Amino acid sequence: MATAVVLPKPGNTVESCILVSWKKQVGDQVVAGEALCDIETDKALVEVESTASGSLLALFFEEGEEIAVFTNIAAIGRPGDSFEALRPAVAARGASAEPATPTARPGQESQDLRLGQPGAHHTDIGISPRAKNLAGRQNVAIAGLEGSGPHGRIIERDVLAAMGQQPLMTPVAKRMVAQGGYEAPAQGSGSRGRILAADLTHSASESAASSPQKAGEFEIIPVKGVRKVMARRMLESLHTTAQLTLHSSADAQTLLAYRQRLKASSEAFGLQQVTINDIILFTVSRVLEHHRELNALFKDDVLYRYRHIHLGFAVDTPRGLMAPVIHDAHRLSLRRIAQASRRLATACQEGVITPADMDNGTFTVTNLGNWGIESFTPILNPPQVAILGVGSIDLKPVEVDGEVQFMKRIGLSLTINHQVVDGAPAARFLQALAGGLAEVDLLLAV
Amino acid sequence: MTKLISIDPIEARQKSVIVGLEIPVNAYQSTPKQEAQKYGRENLLRMYRDMVAIREFETMLDRIKREGIYHGIAYDHGGPAHLSIGQEAAAVGQSFHLRPDDFIFGSHRSHGEILAKSFSAIAKMGEKELIEVMEGYLGGAPLRVVETFSDGNVQDLAIDFILYGTLAEIFGREHGFNKGMGGSMHAFFAPFGVMPNNAIVGGSADIAVGAALFKRVNRRSGLVIANIGDASMGCGPVWEAMMFASMDQYRTLWDAELGGSPPILFNFMNNFYGMGGQPQGETMGLGMLARVGMGVNPEAMHAERIDGYNPLAVADAIERKRTILEAGHGPVLLDTVTYRFSGHSPSDASAYREKSEIDLWRQQDGLLNYGEYLKENGHADQALLDGFQAHSTERLIKALAAAASTEISPRINAQAESIGGMMFSDRYKDRMAKGEPELLIAKEESRLKQTQAKHRFGLDEQGNPRPKLRAVTYAEALYEAMMHRFYEDPTMIAYGEENRDWGGAFGVYRGLTECLPYHRLFNSPISEGAIVGVAVGYALSGGRVVAELMYCDFMGRAGDEIFNQMAKWQSMSAGILRMPLVLRVSVGSKYGAQHSQDWSAMVAHVPGLKVMFPATAYDAKGMLNLALRGLDPVVFFESQRLYTEPETLVDGGVPIGYYEVEMGEPAVRRSGRDLTIVTIGATLYRALDAAAELWQKHRLSAEVIDIRFLNPLNYDKIITSVKKTGRVALASDACERGSFLHTVASNISQLAFDYLDAPVAVVGARNWITPPAEMEEAFFPQKEWIIDTIHERILPLPAHRASTDQATSAIMRRTRLGI
Repeated sequence: MATAVVLPKPGNTVESCILVSWKKQVGDQVVAGEALCDIETDKALVEVESTASGSLLALFFEEGEEIAVFTNIAAIGRPGDSFEALRPAVAARGASAEPATPTARPGQESQDLRLGQPGAHHTDIGISPRAKNLAGRQNVAIAGLEGSGPHGRIIERDVLAAMGQQPLMTPVAKRMVAQGGYEAPAQGSGSRGRILAADLTHSASESAASSPQKAGEFEIIPVKGVRKVMARRMLESLHTTAQLTLHSSADAQTLLAYRQRLKASSEAFGLQQVTINDIILFTVSRVLEHHRELNALFKDDVLYRYRHIHLGFAVDTPRGLMAPVIHDAHRLSLRRIAQASRRLATACQEGVITPADMDNGTFTVTNLGNWGIESFTPILNPPQVAILGVGSIDLKPVEVDGEVQFMKRIGLSLTINHQVVDGAPAARFLQALAGGLAEVDLLLAV
Repeated sequence: MTKLISIDPIEARQKSVIVGLEIPVNAYQSTPKQEAQKYGRENLLRMYRDMVAIREFETMLDRIKREGIYHGIAYDHGGPAHLSIGQEAAAVGQSFHLRPDDFIFGSHRSHGEILAKSFSAIAKMGEKELIEVMEGYLGGAPLRVVETFSDGNVQDLAIDFILYGTLAEIFGREHGFNKGMGGSMHAFFAPFGVMPNNAIVGGSADIAVGAALFKRVNRRSGLVIANIGDASMGCGPVWEAMMFASMDQYRTLWDAELGGSPPILFNFMNNFYGMGGQPQGETMGLGMLARVGMGVNPEAMHAERIDGYNPLAVADAIERKRTILEAGHGPVLLDTVTYRFSGHSPSDASAYREKSEIDLWRQQDGLLNYGEYLKENGHADQALLDGFQAHSTERLIKALAAAASTEISPRINAQAESIGGMMFSDRYKDRMAKGEPELLIAKEESRLKQTQAKHRFGLDEQGNPRPKLRAVTYAEALYEAMMHRFYEDPTMIAYGEENRDWGGAFGVYRGLTECLPYHRLFNSPISEGAIVGVAVGYALSGGRVVAELMYCDFMGRAGDEIFNQMAKWQSMSAGILRMPLVLRVSVGSKYGAQHSQDWSAMVAHVPGLKVMFPATAYDAKGMLNLALRGLDPVVFFESQRLYTEPETLVDGGVPIGYYEVEMGEPAVRRSGRDLTIVTIGATLYRALDAAAELWQKHRLSAEVIDIRFLNPLNYDKIITSVKKTGRVALASDACERGSFLHTVASNISQLAFDYLDAPVAVVGARNWITPPAEMEEAFFPQKEWIIDTIHERILPLPAHRASTDQATSAIMRRTRLGI
């Protein structure tokens, strides 16, 4: 009897993973604990270890496929053991899978397909527009419904009744169905049959409707993995929070001078690679200690103010934007912060960052200064309530003793969740941060 | 129907004979010497000048229609041109003695009358007055054009103004007298007393009576002429107009100081053809049309046949008849012989008459004859006459060049809803004229004392119905609205069948008789066409009027007046005319097939009418108040099922004071979430019963909306409701096929399609005759029909057994059978 290896859930929010590469092949002998494959979550690259020992009988997925967590990905046993029962249902596959054809009955597929109008599913079933809309929003499969309206028409109450019985669905999956383009299977691959985003299949009507007029005009890039999570979280962020961005700038002369000194310092100090961003992270970690209303998480109508400062910072990677976290940053020296940021950024770039290094951030810094962006409106990373955007360093006219002088200043943009953070405390934080940056040499002594 | 005049049976049964009066035929007698003395050379020549101008105007249009060119000016005129070549003497002779405050109403063949009457007015008005008229018309826009080509004095300018304005109207241009909305057959120019010309044969007859009534009731000067054709004598409404105009009561019951009968002259322009039919000898049997006067009243309408080929004979007749009309002894009938050389229209090949007949008449040509007359009697030589001709042509060339040019004379932008903007004025006015309304008693002494003392709400504190005699009813609410406006607007009159003394067949006007002199509230002959047509004339002359058709079913008798006159004159005049006319129409029941129909869909279908149908006492007063203050024509439906019903739905009942219901806003009578029922009229109460049962038996919460207004109608509330409930049934007592509910249903389907959980279902009366009262339940929508329709077509109700057949299969079967 063969045993299945299940795709583990490598993080709390992880619903699905991309199979990056198999490390074993069918026929190989594996031992429990041995690496079987690499998968990529929305946050990190993770190694999946075999949970059984024996001969690798089957690999149920191909590299590049998106797989729901808790799905059987491989079968291990003695050669000759039956493993077909372990093969996951088609619906567990991601976007690359064939669309399900739930209305088709055996022997009738071809006929049904021929009769079907493009873009019109279930033409043989009468359904009211209202019921159809509700079914779409709530992901109720029309095909399985018994219509109770006149002439068996499916009407709103039939959909409402089905909603009471339908499998559970993750909010993301629900939203994807509601937004169109996806259909859900009767049963999901999540716990207790919950339908996950990965269980959804592209609806034929949607892809037909949005089919390119001419091939070759564009390239098709499935949005998945980190990018998909990002896409979702960015939208969620804007949908669920009241974002307000404040712009300011800080005197950057000391900052630049200090950075020059670090660069020129003895190698023995290990400070030569400290970046401007490291100094900013350091300064934020120190100033934030006195502005804890911004070092907070807002979840389900409760505000959690943190004493510890777990500082996230944005890293641009080929897979998309990532925000690794420097835990307890307020306790770390500038040098340690610089080391941590370098290590985490590299891990992100290489795709080996662990979920632990991505979790529990309480405040995030994102820096576009290198690209000459003076100011911008960073998007919050909920449940965090604030994010600091760092802009470029530019010459700005400043009045000194009645004369206009040009001084180098660095742009600061702070986005807050105005649901729980008011403008004044945010402004005070920005003011204190600007002060800290202007005299970062003194701050280092504190 | 008046207690003041009793019918003596002895007299009624007495043996005697009716002696006919002699009707003069072509009796004009005069001598050139007398005529020269009477008119003077200048006026005699002016008549010739005007006849030539008309002949040339019509000839020009004939060329434009047939050849597309006149003196080098090419133009393609797509519209009609019914020409009156040959009839110039009749038009000019008629207008000679008319003053600017005299009105003429005309027909589709009235270009000559427009010009003749205007030339006459121009000759009689001062320069300052003429400038004011022209400057004031359409903001001076037509005048600005005329000034670019006209030279000469103010009278010349005014003549060019009339030629250009008429021509621009015929060509459908913005600077036409009615912005091109009337065209050839409807052109008019009210400041010179040229009132609307009518493309419906005889259409002007009852409208002109209304204008004469307006003059009489409101003590305005001037007489009114209806210029209609000989063939229109075959039209019922023309006869009705004569009946209305010759009522005894003007002289027996109305205040003598008002001046007697309305000053109306029915002038039948007798050109011997009704299109191609020949009334004399073929399509009618009158012999001479003037004979009809003998059948109308003892004075035989002072009828005469006159020689319309002699302008002086016509002028003489008008002068003599004016005396009769001003003395209050009208109406007058003239049979004016005036053969047309031109065909009915340029497309007419005159297949119905011999060329020899035309030649015979050409030998009698009024224009040539009159020219000879002028020469023979030393008023003119040929050179002078030729000069008139040349001058006329010269003027026309200039006017035509300007009117034909789309740069100088653009059309209105029909794509930009500008015609839509002319359909209604959407304006309101408390009084149509200054002055004290004429009343017999103070308001405080009226029946208002009784109605205002009643309970204003039909239910007591416990929600139980109050005795109907103790609470203000729907009929009394209407009465209160009428009272308010009668005491505000001195021009307001009301009439219809049984309106005075009886107080209307359903007692709505009970108590008005005591308040109002005869001329403000009176009984009309049973002439539904004229009842509406007279009201149209009264309203477009500037008075507020409420006409009543006792039963909705009688609208058929007034079809043209409602659909073509009442509905169209505001927009055909480009908003120059107002139509403060409320037509009260009562929807019956229990009286069988010809007294129980709801025809609201018919009037809602015709553009230009506002259509209201209150279903509660509060709305009866508030909506009639709204209608009575407006300047737009309203067909106001009432339900005989509701006259005795007090208000039971609107909290507080019927306010004692003045209020208005907001135009076009439906009323939500019961709110609900599962289903919407939309009703028109008295069906509301059956829908409320259905809603109550749906809740009690099926726990379905139905929203009930009474649309009240068919046009204009704001769909917001209906669509909001349907979006909420997703299900909608509509019900009214109108027969289902073509019911206005289908219009509402279709709009709902389009405006709320994505929200619908079922097709929109219409419940109407059966497409049958209305059976006897005892069998009406099989005909009119009942509570059960509404519930069964919901069950069969919208939302099957568990455990419900349908008692009537409302399934879709019934629709198929019944439509196939046409029932």
